[in-house]
Amino acid sequence: MAIFGLWVINKAGGLVYQRNFADGLAQLTSNEYLVLAGTLHGIHAITSRLSPIGGSSSGAQVIEGESFKMTILLTATATKFVLLTSLAEPNPDNVLQKVYEIYSDAVMKNPFHTPEMPIRSEGFDTRITALIGSGQT
Amino acid sequence: MTIYSLYIYDRHCTCVYYHDWHRSRRPKPAVEGGILPAVSQAVSPSPHLANSNASSVYSGFGSPRNTLSSNTGVVVAVNDMLSQAPATPLLQPPPSPITTPMTSTGLAFDEEAKLVYGVILSLRNMVKKLSGRDEQFVNYRTSAYKLHVYETVSGYKFVMLSDPAAESLRFVMRQMYVGPFLEYVVRNPLVQMDSREHGIDNEYFRASIDRLVRGLSVFP
Repeated sequence: MAIFGLWVINKAGGLVYQRNFADGLAQLTSNEYLVLAGTLHGIHAITSRLSPIGGSSSGAQVIEGESFKMTILLTATATKFVLLTSLAEPNPDNVLQKVYEIYSDAVMKNPFHTPEMPIRSEGFDTRITALIGSGQT
Repeated sequence: MTIYSLYIYDRHCTCVYYHDWHRSRRPKPAVEGGILPAVSQAVSPSPHLANSNASSVYSGFGSPRNTLSSNTGVVVAVNDMLSQAPATPLLQPPPSPITTPMTSTGLAFDEEAKLVYGVILSLRNMVKKLSGRDEQFVNYRTSAYKLHVYETVSGYKFVMLSDPAAESLRFVMRQMYVGPFLEYVVRNPLVQMDSREHGIDNEYFRASIDRLVRGLSVFP
């Protein structure tokens, strides 16, 4: 059980927040993370169109590799929260929901924050550390 | 729980086989030249339909859900689009359930196949990059379906779409590879593998895949 990282992707596919927690995945440059976030944004749109049955489908919600998974929360305003965890992580959805709450409180209510721009808020950082950083094993 | 469809891609990014079971939304048939011959009768472009005689030949495909029928004779060969013969007893169409009206995804099959390939290729690269190892992408899940991938050493990719609640289907795809695929494709001298000109569809393979999938516990 480990949480490896957290991304926040804005509605245009830009990475506005990226942070690593536990070790276990490769350390990439911020440019590489930007590219990956853009790719994920595109894939997410395509996956909702590939549904084999009627009715609408969401985009990808969980993406699994052999040793880790990515859980994606899409908010009503099209911001995506992505949590990279180990496969056994029991409740990534809950963590993401809490991250969303913190984001609303510490970022959206911050008068100095420009929407859709990178998040530079100490309050957000500390509260994310309190949520995820403390849950490390 | 159910299984929706199976795609097989070769190492040249082309779809060489397609089979579906419980889809309620089908892609439109591929455009002429969009897919190789002998991928799947159900989604191949059908130039013969313009011909009035064709209707009798196609009576075997009365149910749009039936992708089992192919159009070759008894010979276990590659289904050539041009050869036409009624389905053999080997491929009795399964009793079709009460057909729900089939709607279209609005995409042509070749477009859909490319999208599926694009998604798995991008995700595979993303997983490799993030893990920093030679790690495989395994599956992803949306609210409506789950997509599973199994890649063989030779670069063939098996892609299956199932119900979102299904367990991992990797072992099933591996079974398909070591069973029907080796038996009826690799060991079939009439199938040109890696040709870039033909799919790998043939009656024995299709029937054998069908039997395997219908025998699964996740298949209702």
